[in-house]
Amino acid sequence: MTLADARARCPDLATAPHDPVADSRALERLAGAMIAFTPLVSLDAPDGVVLDVTGCAHLFGGEAALVRAVLAATGHAVRHALAPHVAAARALARFGGGTDVRALPVSALELDAEALSGLRRAGLETLGDLASRPMAGLAARFGELAVTRLRAILGEAGSPVVPLRLAEPIRLETRFPEPLARTDDALDVIEDLLAQASRTMEQRQLGGRRFLVTLHRTDNARRRLAVETGLAVRDPAAVMRLLRERIDTLSDPLDPGFGFDAITLAVLGAQHLPSRQIMLEDGREENADDVAALVDQLSVRMGEDSVRRVAPRDRHLPEKAQALVPALRLRNVQWPPPEDVPPRPLLLLDPPQQVDVIAGVPDSPPQRFRWKGRLHDVTLAEGPERIGAEWWRRRGGHMPGGAGETRDYYRIEDADGRRYWIFRHGLFSEKPDPRWYLHGLFP
Amino acid sequence: MFHDQAGACIEDPPPDSGGGIPRLARAQLHEVHADGVDWAGALAFGLGAMDADGRKPVLLLRTRRRGAAMVPYGAGFAAFGVDPARLVVIDARDDAALLRAGLDAARSSGPAAVIVESWGRLREYDMVASRRLILAAERSRIPVVMLRGDADPRPSAAHTRWTVSTAPSVPLEPRAPGPPALLVELVRRRGGPAGMRWRLEWNDEHGGFRDIPLDHAAADADDRAGGRAAPLSGAVVPLPALRTGAPLRRIA
Repeated sequence: MTLADARARCPDLATAPHDPVADSRALERLAGAMIAFTPLVSLDAPDGVVLDVTGCAHLFGGEAALVRAVLAATGHAVRHALAPHVAAARALARFGGGTDVRALPVSALELDAEALSGLRRAGLETLGDLASRPMAGLAARFGELAVTRLRAILGEAGSPVVPLRLAEPIRLETRFPEPLARTDDALDVIEDLLAQASRTMEQRQLGGRRFLVTLHRTDNARRRLAVETGLAVRDPAAVMRLLRERIDTLSDPLDPGFGFDAITLAVLGAQHLPSRQIMLEDGREENADDVAALVDQLSVRMGEDSVRRVAPRDRHLPEKAQALVPALRLRNVQWPPPEDVPPRPLLLLDPPQQVDVIAGVPDSPPQRFRWKGRLHDVTLAEGPERIGAEWWRRRGGHMPGGAGETRDYYRIEDADGRRYWIFRHGLFSEKPDPRWYLHGLFP
Repeated sequence: MFHDQAGACIEDPPPDSGGGIPRLARAQLHEVHADGVDWAGALAFGLGAMDADGRKPVLLLRTRRRGAAMVPYGAGFAAFGVDPARLVVIDARDDAALLRAGLDAARSSGPAAVIVESWGRLREYDMVASRRLILAAERSRIPVVMLRGDADPRPSAAHTRWTVSTAPSVPLEPRAPGPPALLVELVRRRGGPAGMRWRLEWNDEHGGFRDIPLDHAAADADDRAGGRAAPLSGAVVPLPALRTGAPLRRIA
């Protein structure tokens, strides 16, 4: 059906461009969720999931209850079928219902259009019709593939499940015969756990982005310490440093009470991290970006909003053209090469500060202005650089007068040699008494 | 540490008055004093005169200020040869946290340079704190610059202390501000003479500061003040021949 036809039938139809990558990710997520029902789950691309529920149904109260639970867990409108093997279940779910594979139409073989029409011309409508014929004849007339598929659906040939294997999570635990009463001892144990986790991660070429330490106290209270890093790490010392920072920032220090029974460490958000060259002098892995560790450390101590990088944005109002983004979240910043625009200030006043200005009308730079109670005489000026409002972001911005006010920027220098970026908010044609704002400082 | 310090002295000759432009050498702690209104000038001096690796991140540490904030503007940094992508801005809650973060940053060998912006008295900054910063800088071999706004100089162990103020520029086109100009004075230097003054002018073509002798500058200023009716002919300043031994490097 074409989109126009569909729209004619259903005017409220919502459309979205096809995103195969997102689809396959969603399917993988769904398959991951199905692990709750059976350990044997496999993907049936592009839009199916196969569950081998052999020996699982009784855990959910029978097959019918299992199917209901699975359908509820998917959260989508789905078609399902139960069958003794994968090929039959797939054919039943996609090309019909019930349980009788012999009643399925020949299209369930998923052959090309030519072979299918050949089958239909021969008067073969269902798989049952085909199954009653000698296979050798079918293969000769309609191809080897037809017979292979048919035998698979009828269960005469195997259709194995290749289950997804989820990566084993990295979780380590130490239990103590006697409760551990000193925080320092607990930290030693954590370091030991981190070293073990580091070896596991090294084998799998992984690095962790989040580390969660849980301290189980004898009185059943749990203390959690979580640290997050900007880049994947597996160096125990680096994580220890962050954990110590975290302990320092806690409002109440790590209180062992009557002691800790057990300590667990979970590495969350593991990412691929290939081995790097080992330095000759100290045997540690070479650390290319030392600032990453510093950023992690300061982000833990001062909050991630306090350690930021400057990222460009595709907006043209000066204060919107850049954003300060937490450095933990932002890996690679790319600034476009500087364009041929008038100079920009080194420091931007945010928000712009209103100043009293004496200037000629309509388009002259200021001659004198008052900022923070001091008068400044303008000796040199350059401009205006006209920056329009972002009318496309405003409702009715395309209508006359709806766009917002235009700004005229001047780069001025006062008698003491200080250079400022100042703008008039609005043209004289837009409003009778436009205000002036100081927006930046030039060196 | 003494060994390191000696090494640093040999490798990084202190800023000399013998014609070179002033430089903020590596592995040392520098203090730059400026008034609040000259803040952009002080920052530009820190960025432009710093002897630092041109690829690594530049850490800019500051305290959160109430009210209108001065935000580092990426496009403006690009004009001083600092790719804004290299900039890491760190906001500390108070002065103590600022110094602590500055010390951690100075210890790390990752950044190209550490610039600490501070305002006012900065009670926590004393001999001990500055000595710690120096030891950290000597080990990591990066320049550490304390920008001190609206502050009286305090006794400290810093290698050099400068005052920076913006100077009138030499007009370009009719009455348009010219390239950034600064008045820089070396107020104090450990183990060497001090009191030298420079008038620095940013040179876009070479991407660095170059030094315009003060008497020329005074003449320019006279021209500007008295010569409104007869402005300078053309856009040219009588530049002194580039002095040998003072390489104009793109720095920071």
